[in-house]
Amino acid sequence: MPRPDPAVASRRSTSTGLGRALVATYAVFALAATARSAVQLLTKASDAPLAYALSAVAAVVYVLATLGLAEVGPRPRTMAWAAVGFELVGVLTVGTLTVLDPELFPDATVWSAYGQGYGYLPLVLPFLGIAWLLRTRPRD
Amino acid sequence: MIDPLQTVLIVAALVLALVTGGYVALDRSPDRVLIALIGLLEIGLVVQAVVGIAQLVGGSGDPGITFVGYLLAALVVLPLGLLWSLGERSRGATAVLIVALLTVAFLVVRLEQIHAAA
Repeated sequence: MPRPDPAVASRRSTSTGLGRALVATYAVFALAATARSAVQLLTKASDAPLAYALSAVAAVVYVLATLGLAEVGPRPRTMAWAAVGFELVGVLTVGTLTVLDPELFPDATVWSAYGQGYGYLPLVLPFLGIAWLLRTRPRD
Repeated sequence: MIDPLQTVLIVAALVLALVTGGYVALDRSPDRVLIALIGLLEIGLVVQAVVGIAQLVGGSGDPGITFVGYLLAALVVLPLGLLWSLGERSRGATAVLIVALLTVAFLVVRLEQIHAAA
């Protein structure tokens, strides 16, 4: 097996170069979603259980995506793919449902109306994540 | 809350984000000047947190847990962003500071909204 070229190795890393800025952005959402979910569950869990459970799920997804892209843990790339994929499905599903029926989730989540409350970043982010995972994917 | 300070903080964070954008465009790593300016902004955020919590303890209004959460979140963003950014020398690593600075600006704007609503 040839010795790995460091330049090629870093091109395949998800946490270097542009990936560093992407990890930072995911970290912000991980922090925001976790804090929001904690406040909702601690102060008014019974008001809108479905919306708050969804907030908690979104928080976990952002935390896992951040860790995966930052290459923390045993199989970070798999974890990042799973989390970013779930994020894309989540924002599209919740976004569509909330636009069609605003009553469904009485209190806002990160993914409501395709992330309108966050400048639509929650909609853009999974596409950036997938593009980055594709660009850094290992080749042989 | 102290509105003039918050206006200064928001403007400073946005200007610094723009300046950092210049660094990224020129492919320059953050130098002492940029890091010192970010340090100054952090001091402003500490002042905001101290005054904000003091007012809360003093009992003027009760914006509660969300308000304190935003105050404290605004404190940790820049140090964490600097740490993550300085771990590597690349455009992407410098751009981390833009993410951190825009996050701070967003947090201070939200703080004002929460305070106005309370």
